[in-house]
Amino acid sequence: MTPPAARAAGIALVALACLGVPYRLAAQSLTVRAAGDMLQVRGSGLRLIESAVAEHLKDGRSVRVDFEMTILDKAQGAAVTQNRQSFVLSFDLWEQRYAVTRTGAAPRSISHLTARDAEAWCVENLSIPLTALGRFSRDLPFWVRVEFRVQEQPPPPDDTQGPLALRTLIEVFSRRGSEQALDRTFTAGPFRIGN
Amino acid sequence: MRTLILLLLCTLGLPAAPTAAQTPEPADGTRVESADVLLFPTEQLSPGLRRDIEALAGKPLSRPDVTALARRIEEERPEVVVAVRIDARDNGEARVFFLVARISDDANLGTNINARYTVESVEIEGLDEHEISAPLRDRIKALVGTRLDPVEADAIVEKLKAERPGYNVVRRIERGTRRGQIRVVFKFTETEELRWIPFQKSRSKFVFHSENGWSGLHDIPMGSRVHRVTAGLAYDDNDTLVEEYSGARVRFETRQLGTERVGASLEASWLNNTWREPVLAALALDPSLTEPYRHRVSVDPMVTVAITRHLRATGGLSLSSLESLHQSPASQMASAVTGGLFFSQTWRPEHRTRQIVDAGYELRTSVDGFGSDFDYTRHFARARYEFRNRHNTVIAEVFGGGITGQPPLFERFTLGDSTTLRGWDKFELAPAGGNRVFHQSIEYRFHGAALFLDAGSVWDNGRERQLRASTGFGFHIEHFFATVAFPLDAPGEGATFMMGVRF
Repeated sequence: MTPPAARAAGIALVALACLGVPYRLAAQSLTVRAAGDMLQVRGSGLRLIESAVAEHLKDGRSVRVDFEMTILDKAQGAAVTQNRQSFVLSFDLWEQRYAVTRTGAAPRSISHLTARDAEAWCVENLSIPLTALGRFSRDLPFWVRVEFRVQEQPPPPDDTQGPLALRTLIEVFSRRGSEQALDRTFTAGPFRIGN
Repeated sequence: MRTLILLLLCTLGLPAAPTAAQTPEPADGTRVESADVLLFPTEQLSPGLRRDIEALAGKPLSRPDVTALARRIEEERPEVVVAVRIDARDNGEARVFFLVARISDDANLGTNINARYTVESVEIEGLDEHEISAPLRDRIKALVGTRLDPVEADAIVEKLKAERPGYNVVRRIERGTRRGQIRVVFKFTETEELRWIPFQKSRSKFVFHSENGWSGLHDIPMGSRVHRVTAGLAYDDNDTLVEEYSGARVRFETRQLGTERVGASLEASWLNNTWREPVLAALALDPSLTEPYRHRVSVDPMVTVAITRHLRATGGLSLSSLESLHQSPASQMASAVTGGLFFSQTWRPEHRTRQIVDAGYELRTSVDGFGSDFDYTRHFARARYEFRNRHNTVIAEVFGGGITGQPPLFERFTLGDSTTLRGWDKFELAPAGGNRVFHQSIEYRFHGAALFLDAGSVWDNGRERQLRASTGFGFHIEHFFATVAFPLDAPGEGATFMMGVRF
């Protein structure tokens, strides 16, 4: 590749990377509170139920999402405690509302939710006992990391339209972005129980 | 208790709207004798809602009002679903029951909230239902009139896929004609392997070779399932031919000329050629080789006939104008008749196991009638076998070719790139390529990790032939790959690193 072409390609890549930054920074927010003897997290802006996942749900199919919440001693620090929980989402075709079921030993379900409320309900059900926080339950700052992964991927694109290489290229170069849509991690802090 | 709830839900059907199978219900306007909430403590409902439910008694029956109250219960208590039953009394009045069940008490509802609804009809799209076996058809029909069973519906999808390989099958649910009823749709879409004539595979790639730098080809296809136009760009591609080239191409394809068994294509390309020093040096040393060119403009019309779904024959022309590198603007014509026979088939002997065989033979021979300045005939044959089982993949590939006469340089064979004799550098191995080639490769992949062994030789007829081999490892994750390869029996040759995307 000639130097001017290489420079132009470099500028284009940097510009593309920069375009993604504001979105990522502005995406989500997490807050925590002590509810009884549990640490409860509230999250917004997860952007879980959108695009392919939302289409999948609106076709009357369900989607399983695995959440993992980790309490960290620093932003990139060691895990203090962790909670994993799976949820099954579906979309009520007649009520036009989402339903969520927390799976596991003590299943719990809720329906008639908007997409954003369904996402928030999942995060709220990731509670961790305050006792598991150890010394961090006594006014020491900690960070919270929430990860989720959509387990049941929407089906591959219908290939009757032929192998659309342009679409494939977009998918290849937006791989990071699409993984964020289906497999995301975000961290917030510092929090204190007293706050 | 839970059994009782499920029994009631199954018996009565959900949700409010009655099904035709149930006994006739009192007509709207019938006086309501009483209204009760069952299986749920009414004190957990708001006083206003309780009052409105109780107020139904003594009034004329209004189904919209009853349905609205059922929805209010669900909205107030989103962890439950509500079914309505309206019974006729002997005295001509009606009794209204709101049957309440927790979603989490029913596994199907927890899996999919639409399991509360009754299946009104089942439809099959994209395939004549008679192409499905009778037992499976009966199983599909058995869904009608019952509450949606998501597990059973998904099991049917898997059965349909197994019974009709070559199709993608997806299930979707739609609203039915009446509130509370749904339609289940099983949609079949043909995959490419069922087409008589496939479109040309994408050549798109961006590849880095530690000895030879970056190469790029990008195809952008646009069109429908029958016709397609592909715009292609090449950026310093040195990974394919003796020459390095950049430029553009346009290809039009149709795979239905009157019948799906006959297709045609027309490709035009405009390429600027550059030549590595080792290639020019090799050409200078061998006067029997044809001269290099700075521009290559080609037009390639072709007709394809599908003999079976897996066997295709092609015939066409390849017309190229080559502007001399050393004596521009003088140019030469390379005109050839092309023909080929190609076989491709995929087998799925069992779930998660797939075997793919691709094989082909191609002939290109110059024709005087189109003013060719080259006189040659080129034969090329290849076969590829791929076996996949869960995370294990084995790929075996072999090809060979020979050229007689004096071909243009783009027809000569090369080895030592990102797909052949990985670990060798084509510009050291045979800078000007050869008119004979043989290559075989075997590769094993587990998840994304790969191990491979390549062996082959490229030479000119009548000269010394030396078999080369290489091995290496790498990763293949969807479109991405990264490979480290080592030439074998080559003292002083180091490892070669290759990475990139093919899509």
